[in-house]
Amino acid sequence: MENLSAKYGKTLNLDKLTSYCPGCGHGIVTRLVAEAIEKLGVMERTVGIVGIGCGGFSHHYMDIDAIEATHGRSPSFAIGYKMAMPNNIVFTYAGDGDTCAIGLGDLLHAANKGMPITTIMVNNTVFGMTGGQMSPTTLEGQVTATTVKGRDTSTQGYPLLVPEMMRAMPGVKYLARETVATPKGVRKARKSIQKAFECQVKGLGYSFVEVIVPCPTGLKKKVKDAYDWCGNQMIDYFKPQVFKDETEQGDVA
Amino acid sequence: MKNTETFAESLARCGVKYHFAYPITPATDVMKRMAVILPKYGGQMMQMESELAVSSALAGAACSGTLVATSSSGPGMTLMHEAVGFMCAAELPCIMLDSMRVGPGDGDILGAQSDYYVATRGGGHGDYHVIVLAPSSGQEIADIMPHGIRLAYKYRTPVLFVVDGVSAQTTESTTLPAYNDYSAEFDTTDWAFTGTQDHPKRALITGSYSHQDGYEMNEMLRAKYERIRENEQLWESEGVEDADLVVAAFGIHGRMCKDLVAKMRADGKKVGFIRPITLWPFPDRAFEALPDSVKDILVVEMNLGQMVDDVRLAVNGRIPVHFLGKTGGDLPMYTLSDMIAEANRILEK
Ligand code: SF4
Repeated sequence: MENLSAKYGKTLNLDKLTSYCPGCGHGIVTRLVAEAIEKLGVMERTVGIVGIGCGGFSHHYMDIDAIEATHGRSPSFAIGYKMAMPNNIVFTYAGDGDTCAIGLGDLLHAANKGMPITTIMVNNTVFGMTGGQMSPTTLEGQVTATTVKGRDTSTQGYPLLVPEMMRAMPGVKYLARETVATPKGVRKARKSIQKAFECQVKGLGYSFVEVIVPCPTGLKKKVKDAYDWCGNQMIDYFKPQVFKDETEQGDVA
Repeated sequence: MKNTETFAESLARCGVKYHFAYPITPATDVMKRMAVILPKYGGQMMQMESELAVSSALAGAACSGTLVATSSSGPGMTLMHEAVGFMCAAELPCIMLDSMRVGPGDGDILGAQSDYYVATRGGGHGDYHVIVLAPSSGQEIADIMPHGIRLAYKYRTPVLFVVDGVSAQTTESTTLPAYNDYSAEFDTTDWAFTGTQDHPKRALITGSYSHQDGYEMNEMLRAKYERIRENEQLWESEGVEDADLVVAAFGIHGRMCKDLVAKMRADGKKVGFIRPITLWPFPDRAFEALPDSVKDILVVEMNLGQMVDDVRLAVNGRIPVHFLGKTGGDLPMYTLSDMIAEANRILEK
């Protein structure tokens, strides 16, 4: 794998086959995270705190220290870690179920504390690992294993817009929603993920990137159809955009 | 000084760097004191938004090898057990305080000893234990803190102090130790998550491990708990050598036993006491070693009968075990004269 390492750097572990399903968006996001760490040259002082679910495997494909936190609590783990190791880079990586169902309280308070940590929330609108149940981000009318007639907003509420909830928090210094459903989306997502890490390296405050991805298995769609659906229906509701970018202050440490 | 404040001072003076907590009676004074004193020692108290967040932040900070602590009370401890189980699986040291109040449910703020079961049985799912220390006075809190920290690092495990809410809020004079970071006696470089600059990738996997890894982790923990059981039982006892009756109690009732034995011995009654200081591991050896003169054991607790089970297991049917316990309401505990009356009743039966 030497040639690939020369191209991609040391952070991404190219010797391992991923456990992600074919066509899963996690593969792309994991690579983008590894690239951001590589580019900033912080691999040796970076710790990934991953959640429970498919995203929990992401650290297996990076040569960095990693902690698999309890379900939903990775932001709180990250706060404790950052306090003890302020010079290290700590990011959390988890799906929408982990991050904004069970972990929403921990997430919003971590964001509001404004501590320099980075969260990557991979949103595929379902609980992937447990077999495609409704998540807080499931779209209206979307059929899942637990919304067999489609999500009914009168009883199940509306798809949760997480970055919109964080927008007003002064401690949040970089805030974006991106997608990897299209090549153009991947390029933008790469940039946002890099900025989010840069924000932390500069010690500015909390940074958050939601990435809209397809989960062909959980969505019960062929890979191509999952990408089409993600690139249309999903991003029609979860509109990719940079909500806030206050990274142009301070020097890179 | 209030014993909650003694607890805070002892933590800070023994090297605790970070304290995570959420307000709850009767433990809140610990975090209030820590907020004031920790910065003087180069540390910080961080108030979190819930006990779930508290124990998670505790685990996150402990991953780095740093000495960290928390303080709470029954309902808060209930929430904390998620990450406490994680810390046991991940073998992370920390110091915790449960300033016990009455339950079940949210209970009442009155002091009690009603968390004996959850403290000594792990508290969360899976086969694990935390080491449980039950000091009975402010001075003992200060004196035993270095030992607690050494146990936490030696065995890489959470160590839980349990103090009933009455003792926790008692004001008494205490001599505090000079500053010394006891965690510095232990080298954490072979396990701490500090980044790969000085070690190859480390991964703390306590969830999605393989069946084989999970089995090995549990067997490793079993062996560790056996070592702790073997080596770390602590208790105080007096007058058991020729006793007819032994009174067993921990914490505040354990402290009252000293007076009980002195008074009853002055009346010519052969009474002794055993005060467990470690609740897990339970000091079985103190009970196994009781002489044949002992005809009865009386267990006194500020609950409806929890430690009494461990005493019964320790004597394994050899000696009858009686129980006196009360919890909650306006009168949360028995007085010394109640205890003496019950001891006399048993002696005269
Ligand atoms: S279940 Fe979905 S999210 Fe999980 S690996 Fe498969 S495609 Fe990816």
